[in-house]
Amino acid sequence: MTRSGDARAFQEASPAASRLPPSGPIGRAWAICAKDAAQELRRRIAIASIFFFAATAVTLVSFGIGPFGLPAEARDRVCSALLWIILFFCAATGLPRAFVREEETGTAYALRKVAPASLTLAGKTLFNYLLFLAIAAVTVPAFSILLEWRVGSPGALAALLVLAGYGLSVVSTFLAALVARASQKNVLFVVISFPLLLPLLLSAIVATVEAAGGSMPSTPLRVIVAYDGAATCAGYLLASAAWED
Amino acid sequence: MKPLKILLLPYMAAVIVGAFLWPAPAQGFIGESSRIVFFHVPCAWTSALAFLVAAAYSVAYLARRKPVHDDIAAGAVRLGLLFAVLALVTGALFAKIMWGAYWNWDPRESSFLLLIFLYAAYLFLRAAVEDPERRARMSAAYALFAAVLMPFLFFVAPRVTSSLHPQTVINPQGKILMDGPTKAVFFGALIAFSWLFVWMLGLEARAARLSRRDRAEGSI
Repeated sequence: MTRSGDARAFQEASPAASRLPPSGPIGRAWAICAKDAAQELRRRIAIASIFFFAATAVTLVSFGIGPFGLPAEARDRVCSALLWIILFFCAATGLPRAFVREEETGTAYALRKVAPASLTLAGKTLFNYLLFLAIAAVTVPAFSILLEWRVGSPGALAALLVLAGYGLSVVSTFLAALVARASQKNVLFVVISFPLLLPLLLSAIVATVEAAGGSMPSTPLRVIVAYDGAATCAGYLLASAAWED
Repeated sequence: MKPLKILLLPYMAAVIVGAFLWPAPAQGFIGESSRIVFFHVPCAWTSALAFLVAAAYSVAYLARRKPVHDDIAAGAVRLGLLFAVLALVTGALFAKIMWGAYWNWDPRESSFLLLIFLYAAYLFLRAAVEDPERRARMSAAYALFAAVLMPFLFFVAPRVTSSLHPQTVINPQGKILMDGPTKAVFFGALIAFSWLFVWMLGLEARAARLSRRDRAEGSI
């Protein structure tokens, strides 16, 4: 019998074996993502802290500026900048947890053994991306409502959040792998991520201003897509250097 | 190294004297302020060169895992930080003369400030890791990741928004907008600053090698 035939027979004989690790890179990356999601949903500390941070930031901004505190001509620029500041610091609060948690719980060694670095990074990037989208799905409407900020092209803003969120997740996850075993992790993460994420954030702010005005921000979106592609390639090629023992 | 140092001194002196005495001030600039191009641009060029050298030696370290490659990469970043600060300061002086303010968040000015943040972040990362091999590997990974994303900082960000910065030497028309004497001193200054960087990098590498040898022998 072939090896895959053995595995199939074993799976059919034993229900517990139906939880055999998935084969193929996509399946394994997805399994890592699902593991992280299950861990976070079980304890909910990290997710709760991110959402509380977002709620606090939006509340403070709303209290300080209010729905009518900005002149109409400055509203789009100020709101766009504030929104991305909040999203960046939410990401900085929660996304590095992906690798830090592995070191804290002592599972990093096991993870290095079961999956190559590139798949580990892919799985954790996927989890962080979904987490960012969840944060944005709650934060952006709350921000818009509390500040009475009407976005002229919500579809463009949604596309921007999907694309820029991916770039943010890729870079944040890679840097999280780097700082996982360094001292002063939280401070170090913010210091090393800020210069790398700035081109993305600047383009996102410009794109948000254009989307708020009702137009499709094609130029900044192209920059963001190029940035996402470059970050993905660099992250894949350098994954083992960032994550190896 | 010694012939390099000996020849560098008179060459750099000649460039500095030439910068102040030979070409006439360029049109469209206030007073003699255009002469800053002979110092500001070479500093900027050298800081970018330093980053490319750091990236190249980071690749070499990840491929070969030789400590000397990490020493050179780290030395290049330290020197790149120095030249980036000099470029920023000379640029601020020029901005004060031309536009009345040392800093006005011009995109090109801001890109250099962010390059300084990038260099500082690299050095911060190195300071946060005690194990030398892990430090070298992480620094190399960070330098290469940053090298891939740096073009977005230097070439894309300044073009997404409008800038007060004068047209650069590398411009869309593909023409060098300088007369003969200015071109001669300018390219001479580029060579002088690059040469200075190479010499200083050699010193950095030697100091790092001696430090590593002393640590291995238990002297430190």
